[in-house]
Amino acid sequence: MNALYLAFAYLRYHWGRSLVLTLVAALIMFVPIATQILLSTSERALVARGDATPLLLGSRGSQLDLTMAALYFSDERPDPVTMREVEAVWDSGLAVPIPVHSAFSSAGFRIVGTTLDYFDFRGLNVSDGRGLSILGDAVIGADVAQALGKGVGDSLVSSPENLFDLDGVYPLEMPIVGVLAPTNSPDDQAIFVDIKTAWVIQGIGHGHEDVVTAAEVAAGTAALSNAAVVQYQRITDANIETFHFHGSQEGFPTSAVIVVPNDVRSGTILKGRYLDSENPAQLIEPAGVIQSLVDRIFRIKSLLDAVTLIIAIAALAAIGLAVFLSYRLRAREIATAVKLGARRGMVLRLLSAETITLLSLSALIAATGAAIVSRNAEAWVGYLLALGS
Amino acid sequence: MPLLRPLLAVVMILLAASPVAAQDRPRVVAVNYALQYFAERLVGDTAEVIFPVPQDVDPSFWRPSIADISTIQSADLILLNGAGFATWVDRVSLPRAKVANTTAAIEDRFIRTESITHSHGDGDEHSHEGLASYTWLDPMLAIAQAEAIASAITARGIAPEDEVANRLAALRTDLEGLDTQATRAFAGMQDIAMIATHPRYQYLARRYDLSLTSLEWEAGAMPTDAERAELVALVAQTGAQVLIWEAEPPADAFAIAANLGLANIVFPTLAHGVEEGDYMQAVAAALTAMSDASPQ
Repeated sequence: MNALYLAFAYLRYHWGRSLVLTLVAALIMFVPIATQILLSTSERALVARGDATPLLLGSRGSQLDLTMAALYFSDERPDPVTMREVEAVWDSGLAVPIPVHSAFSSAGFRIVGTTLDYFDFRGLNVSDGRGLSILGDAVIGADVAQALGKGVGDSLVSSPENLFDLDGVYPLEMPIVGVLAPTNSPDDQAIFVDIKTAWVIQGIGHGHEDVVTAAEVAAGTAALSNAAVVQYQRITDANIETFHFHGSQEGFPTSAVIVVPNDVRSGTILKGRYLDSENPAQLIEPAGVIQSLVDRIFRIKSLLDAVTLIIAIAALAAIGLAVFLSYRLRAREIATAVKLGARRGMVLRLLSAETITLLSLSALIAATGAAIVSRNAEAWVGYLLALGS
Repeated sequence: MPLLRPLLAVVMILLAASPVAAQDRPRVVAVNYALQYFAERLVGDTAEVIFPVPQDVDPSFWRPSIADISTIQSADLILLNGAGFATWVDRVSLPRAKVANTTAAIEDRFIRTESITHSHGDGDEHSHEGLASYTWLDPMLAIAQAEAIASAITARGIAPEDEVANRLAALRTDLEGLDTQATRAFAGMQDIAMIATHPRYQYLARRYDLSLTSLEWEAGAMPTDAERAELVALVAQTGAQVLIWEAEPPADAFAIAANLGLANIVFPTLAHGVEEGDYMQAVAAALTAMSDASPQ
């Protein structure tokens, strides 16, 4: 007790030196722990999205492009598959297919055309406004709302597919009817619309002035009009009845299809149906694709671990040296203590108490820092991952 | 007297619990009365079947409000008719996992109607193909739709499979009975020209090989002068002897048709519910009226 009291008095008297030593030791402990927390959270966050998506159906080609487009709404543009593939999965009765149409964007954020099943599947909740109800509605992710400063009652305009595609895709003005609660996932960065709205943007569905009268339709008269028919670029109460789609919906495109099998057996049966390399569609496990990508990225982690270890050893050596030198500087003080009757054991206890107090304080600071990092890791990692998308 | 209080308490508890039980039942939404009737027959009391269209609105052209859409989205099963019936489904977001198209398996038996061709800007010309929508007026197609509803109900666990199978068998028997009655009612009427006040009976006409021409009159309304002139011209052109009304019009309208030598038959399309009786009774009554009008 006396040793601890004397050690603490000594450290307090030499507060400057004690503070520096405490902070340096705390940093040495904190940095590797924080790095490990952030890296493992990043790995978990990356893999979690893949793990939460059992199967992904898309056009045969790069599995990584398909996964990135469907799960992270990246700029990759895999060849689309038709809704016939979606219906085939429905008809099999083995899984629930959820189309993801991510070909268009607005104000730098991806427009994701899907069905309401997506919101249930990902557990997305509307924090403000309502969910998708009618053609043209848009529900935006939390980050989109924050970045654009928009909310319920505002509107967004889809961007042309490319600068030179002036004839192909008409910009569509979409009212924002809801804002999603944040999820620290790519969903925060997306603008969700019904897939039918995505088809309207694509020009497959459209609304325009009447080209025939009801009487002509009743009489079965074939009418012909062209060029002058004006298309609407905003879906309103007044013109929504004129919006329609051409052709069978089975031929309409989607970038990918999330497939949620009823059970493991159903998933296995489905996967077997897409093994044929002649099949233009492929059914992949995005978790495997993401895991191999993460493994590749995290090879740098071992290098980082080695660097951290070397720095830690060097820093510990520096602290050891500092402590050793301080003992040398205190040689006369220790000699005086011995002359006053202090035994060697007493002197050793005194020095140990100082070192333990110092390291305990450092550990406390490092643990507090690690706890803060751990608590906010998901949000910070989500933000960092979003910066890269 | 000592038994009265416990008995009253039990009754009160049961009364209080019944609305909760009703709320807990799965909900099925149907886009027309025919589907509602089939679904009700198939689920019995295990689910609540809702047909959300107001009585004064044509279900084919109903436009649901946001509140209606919310109700529909929250249902456990949404029964669509397909064949272009209820165009609002193309403009509303519905959870695909809960939607069942009851005519998906019989698309090859659809009747194609008008075709409208147009183009936009410099785009290619394209056509809008029309489909006759009142599929259930052919009892055989109605059976196919009932089977699709039964599959959807059991696939979603809304009612026990064996109970649904038993009820489906009973419903199939009833619909086959209607088909037999209709075959008898229309026997010998294949050469008689008929006029319908609305183009709703294409599947009925095809099933029983009827010669049917359609007008575009509003259901249950008194025909205007122009519509009367149109009827006169059509009777002269086709030699029609029967006028099929979608809903009962004012008595004067019947008199106008009768004066033209037409037998008036009210044959409800059953897209909406009937005021008295149910689907089976309404169709049976219409077929009886048809039999009575048939030349013996």
